[in-house]
Amino acid sequence: MTHKTKAVLLLGIPTAYLVLLFILPIISLIVLSFWKTESYHLVYEWNIQNYVTVLTEGAYLTFLIRSIVVSVIVSVLATAIGWIAAYAIWTYGGRFRLLLALAFAVPFFTGEVLRVIALQGLLGPVGLINGTLMKWGFAPVRALMYSNVASGIGLFYLYLPIAVTVIYLSLLNLDRRLIDAAKIFGAGGFRSFIEITFPLNLVGTLIAFALCFIPCMSATLSPRFLGGPNGTLYGMAMAQQFGESGTWALGAAMGVILFLFSLLAVVLIASCLDLRRTGFTGFGRN
Amino acid sequence: MYISLEGISKRYAAVTAVDEVDIAIGKTEFVSLLGPSGSGKTTLLRIIAGLERPTTGRVLIDGVDVTDLPPHKRGIAMVFQEFLLFPHRTVRENLAFPLRMQQLSKEEIASRVAWAAGILSLEGLEDRYPNQLSGGQQQRVALGRGLVAHPKVLLLDEPLANLDRELRQEMEVEIRRYQMQLGIPFIYVTHNQEEAMSMSDRIAVVSKGRIEDFAERSEVYDHPKTAFIAQFVGRSSHFNGTVSAVSSEGASVDISGVKLHVSRNANLKAGQRVVVFVKNEKVQLEARTDTARANSIDCRIKDIILRGAYAEYILDAPALGAELVATRPRSETVFTAGQEVRAFWSGDAPDIFPADKAA
Ligand SMILES: Nc1ncnc2c1ncn2[C@@H]1O[C@H](COP(=O)(O)OP(=O)(O)OP(=O)(O)O)[C@@H](O)[C@H]1O
Ligand SMILES: [Mg+2]
Repeated sequence: MTHKTKAVLLLGIPTAYLVLLFILPIISLIVLSFWKTESYHLVYEWNIQNYVTVLTEGAYLTFLIRSIVVSVIVSVLATAIGWIAAYAIWTYGGRFRLLLALAFAVPFFTGEVLRVIALQGLLGPVGLINGTLMKWGFAPVRALMYSNVASGIGLFYLYLPIAVTVIYLSLLNLDRRLIDAAKIFGAGGFRSFIEITFPLNLVGTLIAFALCFIPCMSATLSPRFLGGPNGTLYGMAMAQQFGESGTWALGAAMGVILFLFSLLAVVLIASCLDLRRTGFTGFGRN
Repeated sequence: MYISLEGISKRYAAVTAVDEVDIAIGKTEFVSLLGPSGSGKTTLLRIIAGLERPTTGRVLIDGVDVTDLPPHKRGIAMVFQEFLLFPHRTVRENLAFPLRMQQLSKEEIASRVAWAAGILSLEGLEDRYPNQLSGGQQQRVALGRGLVAHPKVLLLDEPLANLDRELRQEMEVEIRRYQMQLGIPFIYVTHNQEEAMSMSDRIAVVSKGRIEDFAERSEVYDHPKTAFIAQFVGRSSHFNGTVSAVSSEGASVDISGVKLHVSRNANLKAGQRVVVFVKNEKVQLEARTDTARANSIDCRIKDIILRGAYAEYILDAPALGAELVATRPRSETVFTAGQEVRAFWSGDAPDIFPADKAA
């Protein structure tokens, strides 16, 4: 096989995959968002009414803003706690490092629905926490019952393992001897973290953040089972358009807006980032 | 003494990497730790740096016991074999790093960085990142980062290992010059004896975690204290033999029937098994004659290797059942391969050691 055919094959397959499974669905979603749905039927009539609805109707804006707030808080917390956990494993894990890192992924084995239901059992009115409190004669913690806090806890619980894993993998790539070098040249523990460890894992940190933030924005399960009446988040509202309401075109418009928003966020972060300042070698030696 | 290691040992489970090391180094000394791979040189350096805790013993720098101090409080600097430049910092920032940690003024930092860039020919590269530099340039930045810090002691772990011969020899001279300029001790780890010889005041020969000898470089070269040093330092041929007689003049050694005279007798006893080392440059050659000569062996030139101003004659000595090598200046009589010659040396040329301690 010539070098060229190899290149065509190796690059062609992922390209074809991307086109088929990513670009095409996005295009069909965009097209759908410019049509409309009337009483559970799709009407092929070009219009921008869906976008007007999403961007002007109070409810959708509320969902969007609420989602952004919840997602930012959850992702910041997950990234911060993820850092602490990953750093602890990396530093003190010794022989059990790999095992500990994998342990964070164990909840994944049960699937997302079960995990959220399990949390409902823990946080709900008759759940483990409030149930125990009431049994001992204390008042239940209302913030934990069907609230945004509860659905935030759910999201945190769902995506923390991702943050830990991503940051841990990033740390594995770090040459510890660079920290030795920093110490030799006069940096204490904290200082060498600020000067060396953190900047060299900034890309990993941002990826961890994004991998929490984006699914939080489109989350449906956690707000549905834990969020309560005032806990509707954007992703959940979007899912409803495709389900109960049957307003697919509106749902598609919401999807496009979410997609653009996520894209914008990623582009914004990337444009503020000078990869050379992170020692990022994803581009190899240049 | 400015730096002292007292009874330093380091054990990892089954391995003893450093074994009861005692050395003391003066304030303006250039000291090399010379030893083969795995002998414990890096471990010893890391113990001085504070990156490794000794299992036993104390480290003193400038009269202060620093055994329990972390590296950043020891006021030292180090040039690593693998450079370990900070990949996310430019050359300028790498050089400035130790100075920022010392909280020096902006002006002082700028002037020291400029000084380092100047002496190391790094001008014009200050704004590059390490991965935009050649190996030799990275090496010089690593060296510069150690020098600008004006540390109490500079530790160097095979800093020239990745350079080509020419650049290495140039750097050897430079490094020695900076050491004298700064007036601080340099502890230089290497497994390359030429490097150690060219720069050091004193050389500590390390083998299996122990210091075999710690002495002036010429002493180490001319009067090796152990068979290991004789083997490791300089190039030599060696033969196993038996002491046949001892006198106040020295010893006679029988090597497969050939009698040699060694004017150092090193407390030998008749009948003792010994190893005799002769440095290549101490072996002389002459055309075959019938006149008798002490310490001479008939040989045939098997091969000739040219090394600049010197020729290395690989000699086959059937009487010894061994090969030996003579390194002669090319200005001397030139012999040709295949020629029958006679190799000889003066009685004080060989170094002799009891065989049980042979390397
Ligand atoms: N962390 C460690 N755990 C176990 N053994 C170690 C460790 N570090 C070093 N050793 C062992 O200690 C001995 C000395 O190692 P060291 O790195 O000091 O050798 P060196 O003289 O620097 O060798 P080189 O010239 O190859 O760099 C070796 O046998 C090595 O395997
Ligand atoms: Mg080493």
